Amino acid sequence: MRAGSGTEACALEVKDLVKVYPGRTPVTAVDGVTMQVERGEVVGLLGANGAGKTTIIKIICGLLLPTGGSAKVFGVPCHHRSASRHVSAVLEGSRNVYWRLSVRENLAFFAGLQGMSPRESRARIEELIAFFGLTEKRSAVANKLSQGMKQKLAVACALVRGTELVLLDEPTLGLDVETSHELRGLIAELARSQRRTVLLSSHNMGVVEAVCARVLILARGKVITDDHVDQLLNGFRTRGYRLVLQGELADPVASALQERFSMRQLSSTDHRAELEVEIAPGHDFFELVDLLRGSGVEVDSVSRAEPNLEEVFLRIVRGGKA
Amino acid sequence: MNTYLWSFWAILRRQAIELKRYAFNTLSSLVTIYVVFLLLFLGARFVAGGEAVFGDTLEGLIVGFTMWTFALVAYSDVSWAVMREAQQGMLEQLYMSPTGFRWVAISLAVSSFVVSFAFVAPIMGLMMVTTGRYLRLDLPSLLPLLALTLAAVYGIGLAVAGLALVFKRIQAAFQILQFVFVAFLFAPAEPLWAKALPLTWGTELIGRVVVGGTRLAEIPGVDLLLLAANGAFWLGLGILAFGLCERAARRRGLLGHY
Ligand SMILES: Nc1ncnc2c1ncn2[C@@H]1O[C@H](COP(=O)(O)OP(=O)(O)OP(=O)(O)O)[C@@H](O)[C@H]1O
Ligand SMILES: [Mg+2]
Repeated sequence: MRAGSGTEACALEVKDLVKVYPGRTPVTAVDGVTMQVERGEVVGLLGANGAGKTTIIKIICGLLLPTGGSAKVFGVPCHHRSASRHVSAVLEGSRNVYWRLSVRENLAFFAGLQGMSPRESRARIEELIAFFGLTEKRSAVANKLSQGMKQKLAVACALVRGTELVLLDEPTLGLDVETSHELRGLIAELARSQRRTVLLSSHNMGVVEAVCARVLILARGKVITDDHVDQLLNGFRTRGYRLVLQGELADPVASALQERFSMRQLSSTDHRAELEVEIAPGHDFFELVDLLRGSGVEVDSVSRAEPNLEEVFLRIVRGGKA
Repeated sequence: MNTYLWSFWAILRRQAIELKRYAFNTLSSLVTIYVVFLLLFLGARFVAGGEAVFGDTLEGLIVGFTMWTFALVAYSDVSWAVMREAQQGMLEQLYMSPTGFRWVAISLAVSSFVVSFAFVAPIMGLMMVTTGRYLRLDLPSLLPLLALTLAAVYGIGLAVAGLALVFKRIQAAFQILQFVFVAFLFAPAEPLWAKALPLTWGTELIGRVVVGGTRLAEIPGVDLLLLAANGAFWLGLGILAFGLCERAARRRGLLGHY
């Protein structure tokens, strides 16, 4: 693996980044983003359509010039040509591989483009072909591969360049559930075993949850959250409970619950009601139990409503995080 | 430096693989070139009884035509190489090469030229057989002249490639330029302004070598200097234009569009 230019520089340093696409009606795609990624970190980039994920990734790749602020990889400004030594990417909506070349030829091409001699790259190419399970298809033209294999090849082609920072924009887009699971596993394993620094954008929370230790959530070109996945989930875990009650939920109780615990009714029949409550900071679980007992409601079961990243994401984006 | 060479090698290999894999396309474009020449040749014979068309002699026609093929290949190589990559959605990946995109574009063009040369040579042979006239091929004299002449064409190709990055839809219009090249080839080389045109002056000098049997060392230094200045000017202009267009494309986010 190549060494970065500055020994102490972090893998990625973005400061007050602004991108306005010029035109008759200029579009502000990135609006003052600051973020850092340390070496070896695997970071997810989340955000609704049009939040600015691809724009940030392309600026880091040097494909787009920022309007303001700066982006540096290993201390090198991203718009400099020499930054490409440190960055490779699988881009969204781009083909990323040559459809007329075979699996092996594609890998050899990208290794060569990066400046590696065939002798230097041979072992790495074989390793990647085996790792991504493409051995049988090594001589098949990319055009004739399935979508999932094409995507694996694209990731392999980004990796064969041997850069320390790898950007993956929507790497599992258009893949079936199983292939998406497989690819996310492979990415997670690679990041761990080769200690690559990865920045990954996805709409698939499962992918981000499985692969990334930290996430940044973007909305309208701004970072609204930058936290570790565990901590994000924890922050929501302690407060949500799912209750199953016996009998119908009487209106006065319901409104009291709604008021104090922002209750959400999930289902209700004559003899059973299922609901979710949230215990706001400063209140505790026993207040809830007291309220229920005082109203003569029988509790069938209580469980922590385990939040997943998707719910957390939605709440944050909708401004639900206090 | 090795980075640059290996990167060029990778591009050359890729083009050879593609040409081999899609041999039919290659073959059909060769046949097209040859048929165009035959038509020109027969037409010239018909009009002028075989002599005194375009440059004075039949040899002139052969030189002109060969140069045109070369120019076409060189010109279309730079601009089409870039457009082809764009159409394949590969421009962005190529752009991220550590050698820089200009090197990639030039590698694309030069390697494609090398590959094409293998095809143009037999056509030239075939033309000589068809016409019964054999040209003296003094390669040591010819190659430097060819390189300087084509430098101008590469310059124009780069400029066009740059424009194509920004104005995707304009591509077809640039094909017309091919025919403008014909005009440059057969424009009179004597007036001073003609020496500023791409191709014109170079073709004249190449004609002296191929038809007249002049050696490179026998060509007046001023004439050579003029040719070098011409090549440098057009190539420089092309590189400049390409750089400007590249910047515009990166500002507006156009590299990925096709
Ligand atoms: N080349 C361009 N020219 C003008 N505006 C653009 C261009 N590319 C993107 N935009 C605009 O910039 C904003 C951010 O787009 P971007 O592609 O970065 O979002 P994203 O987060 O990647 O979205 P998605 O999840 O849909 O991929 C959008 O409003 C988009 O319309
Ligand atoms: Mg995107």
